[in-house]
Amino acid sequence: MRMNRCRSSSKRERQSWLQNGINYWRHRIRGYELALCTDAWNPRLRTGALYRHFSRLYTGYDVLRKVSFKLPEVVRRSLWTIIAVMPLLARAFDLLVLGGGSGGLACARRAAELGARTALIERGPLGGTCVNVGCVPKKVMYNTAMHADFIHNHTDYGFTVSNVDFSWRKIKERRDAYIKRLNGIYQSNLEKDKIEIIPGSASFSDGSKPTVEVNGQQYTASHIVIATGGRPDVPTETEIPGADFGITSDGFFNLEDLPRQAVVVGAGYIAVELAGIFNHLGCKTSLVIRYDEVLRKFDSMISSNCTTELESDGVALLKRSQVCNVSRNSSGRLVVTVVRGNAADHILSDVDCLVWAIGRKPNCQDLNMSKLGISLDSTGHICTDEYQNTNHSGIYALGDVCGKALLTPVAIAAGRKLANRLFGGEANAKLDYKNIPTVVFSHPPIATIGLTEGEAEAKYGQNIKVYRSTFTPLYYAVTEHKRKCVMKLVCANANEQVVGLHMQGMGCDEILQGFAVAIQMGATKANFDATLAIHPTSAEELVTLR
Amino acid sequence: MRMNRCRSSSKRERQSWLQNGINYWRHRIRGYELALCTDAWNPRLRTGALYRHFSRLYTGYDVLRKVSFKLPEVVRRSLWTIIAVMPLLARAFDLLVLGGGSGGLACARRAAELGARTALIERGPLGGTCVNVGCVPKKDKIEIIPGSASFSDGSKPTVEVNGQQYTASHIVIATGGRPDVPTETEIPGADFGITSDGFFNLEDLPRQAVVVGAGYIAVELAGIFNHLGCKTSLVIRYDEVLRKFDSMISSNCTTELESDGVALLKRSQVCNVSRNSSGRLVVTVVRGNAADHILSDVDCLVWAIGRKPNCQDLNMSKLGISLDSTGHICTDEYQNTNHSGIYALGDVCGKALLTPVAIAAGRKLANRLFGGEANAKLDYKNIPTVVFSHPPIATIGLTEGEAEAKYGQNIKVYRSTFTPLYYAVTEHKRKCVMKLVCANANEQVVGLHMQGMGCDEILQGFAVAIQMGATKANFDATLAIHPTSAEELVTLR
Repeated sequence: MRMNRCRSSSKRERQSWLQNGINYWRHRIRGYELALCTDAWNPRLRTGALYRHFSRLYTGYDVLRKVSFKLPEVVRRSLWTIIAVMPLLARAFDLLVLGGGSGGLACARRAAELGARTALIERGPLGGTCVNVGCVPKKVMYNTAMHADFIHNHTDYGFTVSNVDFSWRKIKERRDAYIKRLNGIYQSNLEKDKIEIIPGSASFSDGSKPTVEVNGQQYTASHIVIATGGRPDVPTETEIPGADFGITSDGFFNLEDLPRQAVVVGAGYIAVELAGIFNHLGCKTSLVIRYDEVLRKFDSMISSNCTTELESDGVALLKRSQVCNVSRNSSGRLVVTVVRGNAADHILSDVDCLVWAIGRKPNCQDLNMSKLGISLDSTGHICTDEYQNTNHSGIYALGDVCGKALLTPVAIAAGRKLANRLFGGEANAKLDYKNIPTVVFSHPPIATIGLTEGEAEAKYGQNIKVYRSTFTPLYYAVTEHKRKCVMKLVCANANEQVVGLHMQGMGCDEILQGFAVAIQMGATKANFDATLAIHPTSAEELVTLR
Repeated sequence: MRMNRCRSSSKRERQSWLQNGINYWRHRIRGYELALCTDAWNPRLRTGALYRHFSRLYTGYDVLRKVSFKLPEVVRRSLWTIIAVMPLLARAFDLLVLGGGSGGLACARRAAELGARTALIERGPLGGTCVNVGCVPKKDKIEIIPGSASFSDGSKPTVEVNGQQYTASHIVIATGGRPDVPTETEIPGADFGITSDGFFNLEDLPRQAVVVGAGYIAVELAGIFNHLGCKTSLVIRYDEVLRKFDSMISSNCTTELESDGVALLKRSQVCNVSRNSSGRLVVTVVRGNAADHILSDVDCLVWAIGRKPNCQDLNMSKLGISLDSTGHICTDEYQNTNHSGIYALGDVCGKALLTPVAIAAGRKLANRLFGGEANAKLDYKNIPTVVFSHPPIATIGLTEGEAEAKYGQNIKVYRSTFTPLYYAVTEHKRKCVMKLVCANANEQVVGLHMQGMGCDEILQGFAVAIQMGATKANFDATLAIHPTSAEELVTLR
């Protein structure tokens, strides 16, 4: 029997029963608690003492002597004897949050602040994708790569640099330690807010009110929020033979060493970020993309500029290409075969690391949602309205599991808005999905908000005006190796309201946030122009565009 | 005679006179042009050919043979002989800009774009103190007049450059400023020190440097020296640097400097500088009632005690233009001086000595004078500023103290101190501090102050929002960008 899935009886309790000569364990399953015992022949059992013990422990509940449901095989097969079965009360909360990622945590904490009795169910470490296998470790690795990039400029800046050694292990160790610290901080935050953390996997079960079960214990609440997030998608072995040799972004963060040669598959921002990190840190990197440019959903200036930057940085870009086969050679390294339209197949041999970055899918297959008839879209994401309501009353979904704007701050904001609506009396609180600022930690970083030029054209027709700027940031004024900065402001209507801002260049990651506030406020080009520039910065370009 | 202050005759012209056996130079002064010649005994002079030559060149003007004004000594003392004197017409423009720094250039360019005939007078290289804007596109058709300007007589305001007079309906003084230094009387040995101008001329990193001052220039220069491995002392008058900034910034920046290893000499003033036998400096510092502190073997002493306006040589008293007690030109909010048709902008006015302020003031003025925008003026209220300290400081609007004075209890201050993600994996940490000052019931953001990695680039966008009248609620309504430092500002509680 896997004890790690059991809630064992408390030490003191067990001890008292051991003194009585009875050694038993408690195991919770499907809304019942079983008392399991290896010595069922013990005469004391017949005295009813154990039954009385359970009755005392769970006042008001009858102890059943007969199991009225099918036991799971793990119990049936064990050497343990069931000595008592007891229905467990489904524990009731005001709010039950499924998933301890950014969105779930934010929702739970805000609800608790507003006085709601809140529990949060999480099967893994707290913090979800963002903290454990997403934004945070990614940004650490981006910063690492940035150091490598800057080394090229040290000579021009007057420094003598020789033999710079890099240890992937060292940064991974420090990164892991930091993330562990963060997990602890999240834990103590929840404890501080008096939120009950329920470790384990949740699934919906029967009940008059929506009920979920975790490790056999049932939980119910007036409001249940599904914030179970997502995970990287991978091709099946049927689709691409040898696909399983590849890893995903999750695996990237487990890499103990920098690969000598890596192949990243995908044209989205995760592919771009990972390829950039590998490449800057000295790994021979290929990026396999389906079409001619990366980031095809971004503004055309960004797709095109980012593609150029990757190429000039030395990433081997395999365009109009798809991986069709992966195998392992005699030395244990991978051989990746790539089809390129009508051209001959391209074979990448001696590959140490193949990363699938082809998309993400929602974590909701195991929730048993069909029990409640919660509707999913064609890609398996949970459908919600703009208030995060699913089609089942009292059940909500937010964050990556909804498949819309897979971003930490979006999930956080949606979670807080929902808590405000449910427990803060803000009946109309909802997240505005219109102006979502996003940063891609490519080299140099990309920052974007609002409509692309194409989208603006489609929406406003000829009624748009686009301002552009391309310049070399002052940092590169004294270096041989230059990286330009590109910026584009998309304005609409006669008042030239700013409806989109797109840029790639040094510092753009930190530049965007303030402009996002202004754009959210409805800023026009005139508002930008009325602001004094800060000299010399890159950001000032945006208020001096002509 | 210093030929670099002369407008020499063109090569071809000179050649033709050399063929005639007469070697002459032209020199302009006080509205006249002198023809100077070393061989006045040459008989050809008497033929009147040279006089005729001048008459041809400057049609309509008589050539005078007699100098009716006092010649400057440099001419009188030279071996040259005056062979002709000719009055020069004061050349007229719509706009005359004195100073080719950021403000002057911006004003001149905008005016030229608006169709004004514009000339710009600059004695040094274009670009001024901030040498980043030193390009004048040819399409703007601005005449660049090299030289130093000074006001002279005339029915309309007139300036003279190298002897040629220029006049315009509008004259803009944008002559900027320069670092202030103590006199030798104030501090014996003061001249051994350099200023920020000299800092940029340093050919090598000093081994030991002393920077004097508590303003942003002192902080920036001390930071650069210190980080590049120079033993650096910073001499400040009180206990903190950047005393005009928000108290959080002064205190945090002072701490950062100290923890970076800059030796901060507080409540101190330099009283003497001398050179020791090995040619290095000995800087003596008085510290209140404590014993004097002596810094020996100093390679570089930098005065960063303030800046003063470049307007002493403009001969402004001729027009009665008023100056404030520190010698800066007084203007109203439209950049008007007290003399009609004469304006001043940029550092020479001593208010917000920042390139973009000068540029904006210059453009607004040009728009007002030539663009029909009668009320165009610069709003000096929300000026975003960055100090390139380590880590950088960014600030806009009122300090907490100023807001308290203005709004009393009616303010709310939000603060955040955190370690940027960059330092999450490093032993050496630098925190980031942020403060948002809000006023009134709607919590309008009236001040934003921060110091931390990336703050230099963070501020600009927030400056747009604050200029638009952003409230705390507007900040909160904006989605955060994760993981950045900037996102802290939209998640403050």
